Amino acid sequence: MSLRGAGVTALVLALVAGHVFWGEVAMSPWEVLLAAKGDASSELHEVVLQAVRIPRVLTAAAAGVLLAWLGLLMQTWFRNPLAGPGVLGITSGGSLGVALAVLLGWGMPTWLGASLGCIGVLILIGMGARRFASPVTTLVFGLMISYAASAAVTVLESSASAESLQTFVFWGMGTFGKATLWQAATLLGLVVMLGGWMRWRSGWLDAWLLGEELAQTMGVSQARMNREILLVTGLALGWVTSVCGPLAFLGLAVPHVYRFFHAGRSHRDSAFGVAAWGVILALAADGLVRFTDAGGGAHWPLNAVLAMLGAPVVVSVLWKRTHDWS
Amino acid sequence: MNLRLREAKVGHVSQTPLLELDSWLLEAGGMHMVLGGNGSGKSTLLRSILGVHPFLGGDVVLEVGSREWGPADRSHWVNHLAFVPSMPPKQVGLTVKEVLELSGDVGDALGQNPRMKAWLGLRLSQLSDGQAQQVMVARAVLQSPCWVVLDEPTAFLDVAAQNEMWAMLIRHVEQGGSVLMATHDLRGVQRGLSITTPEVKAKSSISLLRKRGVVHLSVEATLEELESEFEGNALG
Repeated sequence: MSLRGAGVTALVLALVAGHVFWGEVAMSPWEVLLAAKGDASSELHEVVLQAVRIPRVLTAAAAGVLLAWLGLLMQTWFRNPLAGPGVLGITSGGSLGVALAVLLGWGMPTWLGASLGCIGVLILIGMGARRFASPVTTLVFGLMISYAASAAVTVLESSASAESLQTFVFWGMGTFGKATLWQAATLLGLVVMLGGWMRWRSGWLDAWLLGEELAQTMGVSQARMNREILLVTGLALGWVTSVCGPLAFLGLAVPHVYRFFHAGRSHRDSAFGVAAWGVILALAADGLVRFTDAGGGAHWPLNAVLAMLGAPVVVSVLWKRTHDWS
Repeated sequence: MNLRLREAKVGHVSQTPLLELDSWLLEAGGMHMVLGGNGSGKSTLLRSILGVHPFLGGDVVLEVGSREWGPADRSHWVNHLAFVPSMPPKQVGLTVKEVLELSGDVGDALGQNPRMKAWLGLRLSQLSDGQAQQVMVARAVLQSPCWVVLDEPTAFLDVAAQNEMWAMLIRHVEQGGSVLMATHDLRGVQRGLSITTPEVKAKSSISLLRKRGVVHLSVEATLEELESEFEGNALG
């Protein structure tokens, strides 16, 4: 392993350990181990560890990996460094679903509303993609869906009660802290699925970077690749949005951070590093969220922290490099 | 493997065909030059032959003896026809080695063109257009030892880079491959064909695209003859 790889791995481990060991309820490392085994002397320790800290750190790490990979995937698919997981409008669909659930008082949990919204947009995009040959047309279609969904959300907001409006706004800020252990586990399952798919299709994705037409003459089936990308993106992003809220920015930023520090550009070589930086950014952001927690649940919103951390990083990357985003 | 077009109609769906060709045999082992002005349908013809664009009528097959294959057999087609676009890809961060490995063994490519050894670790985006185009030709040869199809490959290259590319193509043909190139670089065609062996030349062709059918020109034609034929017959 290179020095850089070792450094990145150490950073990931340090952040994970920090999230597990550090918190409002003070626990020594020994107590943490006991609580993890279920032998803790204090029931509080067990609850804090098993119901709060572990689901949260797993959710943050898994969502970080998924969003980072989806960002890489979208930047490859559109061959555009400014693409991110949000460009297809799937996140906006989730917002609309939650708006319907919360603002209209349909009485379903936010994660279900978000899932239904994401699936709805995915079906629309899928229908569009069958008609449009080029991903760019699909992108514009996704943008339009995004605008339409945002417009619908605004209409719903205008007539919503103050209380429901507050719930909706808080959902939109995003959080890793509301996930249950089984939700975290499903996110980890999606990490395995998306990682496996990207490894399987890494040759196609690499060829795609050389150009749409050339890739097809190299054996890439454009129709099949488009379908598969939509499916894996829809599933992964839909579920991240359902569990954590609309967090698209992380996915745009992480591939740039990876490219700044690391040389490998083939999808096979970069998947691991991109995933590691996704974990790092997600856990660092969530650390700041937890750090700013004033006790009553008031804290800096995750989306704001992600943008605060991510935007300067992307700008500094663009600044230093002579604009060679590849 | 010969490439045969059968009554092919080339163009875009629900528009009048750009080209209506009779039967046209492209003999294996030759350098086949397709001339035509801008908008004559050269690129669409190549894309149709490569199987990424549908024919409006007729078809194309690879044939050996009595056996034949069409583009629908994707994996066979991809292993026997590789493509080099006019403009080498831009802003691609893959290294030369990674690009070549997508289609075969790097060692084989270096055998074709040892100069690439110095670039293996460089990103495609760090190469000049001339170097990048050599990499693209080398990659195509790795993908297909048979046909290499090029769409105006010299359009963005200076004279030195053009000569390098011709040398690579001639090497490919002399090792048993075949070349199909669309171009309007008459000087390049004339010079390129003049340095091939008589055996290769005997299997090669220069064809001028017209709306109906093609005009076959002599591979021995001088530049002046090519120019006057081009001006007299070309579309667009």
